[in-house]
Amino acid sequence: MKNLSLYHIPIGYMLLYTVFILATGVWLFLLSLGLSGSGGIMATVQKILSSPEPKSLQHFMEVTTPHMFSMGALLFVVAHFMLFSTKISQRTSLIISMLLFVFLLFNIFSYGTISLGFVVSGWIKLLSMFLFVGMFLLLLGIVAVSL
Amino acid sequence: MKFLVTKDLAHSRLLAYLMGSVVFAIVLYLVMDMVLHSYVIGSDIAGIHSTLYGNAETFEEPILIDSLLLQVHIDLFMTMFALLILTSVYIRLHEKTKMLRVTVHTLLLLGITSPISLLLAYFGPEVFVYLWEVTFFVWHTLAFVVSFMIFRRLNFK
Repeated sequence: MKNLSLYHIPIGYMLLYTVFILATGVWLFLLSLGLSGSGGIMATVQKILSSPEPKSLQHFMEVTTPHMFSMGALLFVVAHFMLFSTKISQRTSLIISMLLFVFLLFNIFSYGTISLGFVVSGWIKLLSMFLFVGMFLLLLGIVAVSL
Repeated sequence: MKFLVTKDLAHSRLLAYLMGSVVFAIVLYLVMDMVLHSYVIGSDIAGIHSTLYGNAETFEEPILIDSLLLQVHIDLFMTMFALLILTSVYIRLHEKTKMLRVTVHTLLLLGITSPISLLLAYFGPEVFVYLWEVTFFVWHTLAFVVSFMIFRRLNFK
């Protein structure tokens, strides 16, 4: 009989790595919109809401393309551990995973609506990022509970 | 990954070659990762110091936080996947090894400490430069050792 509990070690660390990846991702996003300047996070959020940094379509594609693959792959790898969970129902896992994929696409393409001029305020990007990160942390939590 | 864990594939030649190939790719990645970091961050303490804090004598500017954070962000992602695959194969082949738990914990802990200490070195005391240098070197070396142990156990017949 194989000792399956040993696999809990890399899975547990993967959750920790993912939290840091999300944190550095949000930090990078805020930096690209002027966090390093004067004022703190709230001033940067205010700036994003009122006048988000104009970004070209090329810049949008440069950021979007690797994230489309990497975030999708990361989401799949984390969510597939729910297949083996005996504490959380498959239905709950399915709803959370599918919602996460929807929020992922919403988050990735939201800045495109600003770049293309459909939306003037940056609220859409902040909302999509908040929903995606919040839901991802929830998924990480339920994987941790299932371990 | 359930099929890898539960199905009896102990004598599968295909699986042995597949695991050998992915571990070989990871070994190449580890070598190239060390070369890349020696270019981007520096290969010795003086070089790393110049990259992070600049050098007034050579008019070198410190690295921008955007560039460093992007490198850390990518490092976390790549390290996570490389070590997840490596440790999963290692656990499969060496589950009866006494030092397994210690080795896996050490590898994954050093893997995450390394990029975080690089970021802390940028903002905090210089001791984190040494911490990054040590953790980066040790986790790469340990990953090489684990890869070698995996190769020894794989049955390519």
